[in-house]
Amino acid sequence: MRVVAHRLIVAGCTVVGLALVYAVVNVQGPAPDLALAVSGALAESGVSHPVTAVLLNFRAYDTLLEVAVMLVAPLVAAALPTTAPAPAKPTNDPVLQALAAVAVPLALLLAIYLLLIGASRSGGAFHAAAVLAGALVLLQLATGRSLPAWLTPTRQQPLLILGLALFCAVGWLSLLLGGYFLGYPPAWAGVMILVIESGLTLSLALALWRLMP
Amino acid sequence: MIRSDALLPILVMLPLSLALLLLLSGRWGRFLSLAGMVLTTALAALLLSHGGQPLHHAMGGWPAPLGIGLRADGLATLMVMMTALVCSAALIYGEYWFDGAKAEQGRQFRPLAWLLWAGVNALLLADDLFNLYVTLELLTLLAAGLAALMATQAALTAALRYLMVALIASTAFLLGVALLYGATGTLALELISIRVAANPQPVLVVAMALMVGGLALKAALFPLHGWLPPAHGGAAPPVSALLSALVVKASFYVVLRLWMGPLAPLTGGVGPVLGVLGGMAIVWGGWQALRQHNLKMVVAYSTVAQMGYLFLAFDLLQGAGYASALNGMVLQAVAHGLAKGAMFLAAGALVVAAGGYRVDQLQGMASRQPLAVTALAVAGISLAGMPPTAGFAGKWLLLQAAWLNGQWLWLAVMLAGSLLTASYLLKVVAVTFLPAPVAASVGCGQRLGGVALMLALLALLAGFAVMPMLQLLAPVATTGGWL
Repeated sequence: MRVVAHRLIVAGCTVVGLALVYAVVNVQGPAPDLALAVSGALAESGVSHPVTAVLLNFRAYDTLLEVAVMLVAPLVAAALPTTAPAPAKPTNDPVLQALAAVAVPLALLLAIYLLLIGASRSGGAFHAAAVLAGALVLLQLATGRSLPAWLTPTRQQPLLILGLALFCAVGWLSLLLGGYFLGYPPAWAGVMILVIESGLTLSLALALWRLMP
Repeated sequence: MIRSDALLPILVMLPLSLALLLLLSGRWGRFLSLAGMVLTTALAALLLSHGGQPLHHAMGGWPAPLGIGLRADGLATLMVMMTALVCSAALIYGEYWFDGAKAEQGRQFRPLAWLLWAGVNALLLADDLFNLYVTLELLTLLAAGLAALMATQAALTAALRYLMVALIASTAFLLGVALLYGATGTLALELISIRVAANPQPVLVVAMALMVGGLALKAALFPLHGWLPPAHGGAAPPVSALLSALVVKASFYVVLRLWMGPLAPLTGGVGPVLGVLGGMAIVWGGWQALRQHNLKMVVAYSTVAQMGYLFLAFDLLQGAGYASALNGMVLQAVAHGLAKGAMFLAAGALVVAAGGYRVDQLQGMASRQPLAVTALAVAGISLAGMPPTAGFAGKWLLLQAAWLNGQWLWLAVMLAGSLLTASYLLKVVAVTFLPAPVAASVGCGQRLGGVALMLALLALLAGFAVMPMLQLLAPVATTGGWL
């Protein structure tokens, strides 16, 4: 029975794989006019990097919902019954501690750099948050402590929702002023994107950090 | 001055923003949730008052191919209203259910349920293929998380299995999205429809198979339904109601949207396949429901059977019966949402009062839990398709479509399905009228049953609103949703 099931799965995957190859080889797409539309509107987007313009302006609503997904993950994880993993003990490994002493400040600097550079080059909140969360993990492994003790899970809640809350607030503001949802005025677009991305960096880093067992 | 089409983003952002506030608020959460419920339902009613006139909002002010649009027609409007009623009932029920010892779970249920409401509204109003994928992802994660709230071993296992299955389904859907994007160079649904119609390449059948297959898995279409009964049956009752009434229906809704729009030129060979699977779901799901001894499993298998009607109807969506089939599908989706929500809520009340899940423990419930039993019976009448409910109108229209198309086999299957539905529900309701054994009665108020009855009565009342609902759907039924 198990063998039959396995063979069925293998057969199914093979069929899907072959169909995909067939489709990808044979599909005829039109000339990509969307990239032209992006570069045409880039001047009004508040940033000069096309990817950031798509993620935080043209298709910012998709990003907002993705950030909601990133919020749901730690919420659900917190709601699950835990088998209470022992808090990671400091390893007292001098190599790790020496590494952390150099790498953590550098990572903080790098996170800020990635956040700010997002406007014109590859970078932005998601990259910065990943680096920040990595720094926290390294700190935890090396010293057994990372976030300050007063920042209990309950008190982390405002920080966890900060990014999405700022995103929503900008959206509401643009709607209530009579515009479209998340329709930034071109003059303010750069500032608003930076504000949202700064909040997102902190919230996403915390969300990633909270998902580490 | 706020734009009139701002209603669409507000229907998504109000529940989302409320969920964020609920994560911060302590004692005020209950009142905030109640106020938000009234407000969001009022906004859904406001959308209803537009009478199905298509509304459109360009997110960020960027027009369609560059930006993302939100769009509401009669179909979306009806589903948004149904969602508002089911979510409100589940949230009120949740306030009573997660009380006392379960207060901590309740504190987690509230924001997750509000996020689910936001996610469902976002999906219903989406006018962009990738945006549909994002909303499906949001719903999947929320559904798995909510199903795991119960924290029993069985519920956790079922939730994790659901998550795995749903992620496979999401991946298949995303592959289809990528293929369609590659073939048309756009993600806006209307533009994809135009470009696919202009050049219906055979390779797009692969995209269609991946998307419809993934969504059928998420909608628990036979034979891909195995994950549903344990996940829906094992969750807390207000969660089961949300999952069975809304989350599986969301996947069906996406299939319908794609079927009438982007995939319309390619549906030829797929309709009969969905028809056969739907027909088997009706018979198999109904038969399994009849055989279950666990009350919540009866209701969960009933969802498998009722989803069968919705998928069988894709094969009726052709020829002379097209309009009847579409109207019937939507009425069936709305009626099933209300009735199934009510049924899971009523089952929860009965399980608490009986102190166990088994159907034979329900003896004497008709006198001890009259409101819950009435809710179960009224919802059952709608599910079995008896007048004067909306379920009757929906099934009648589906039968009419089969009649007009001369699809006699589907006519017979649907009639047999109604008989099966009536049998398994009558079996349960009949037990509640047997004299109660002299067992220790568990103290349980009538409030849970009362909330369930409210939702069941809405399913009944919807039967008197069939004509206005059909008027809302008229433009969709004639143009396939694209005006």
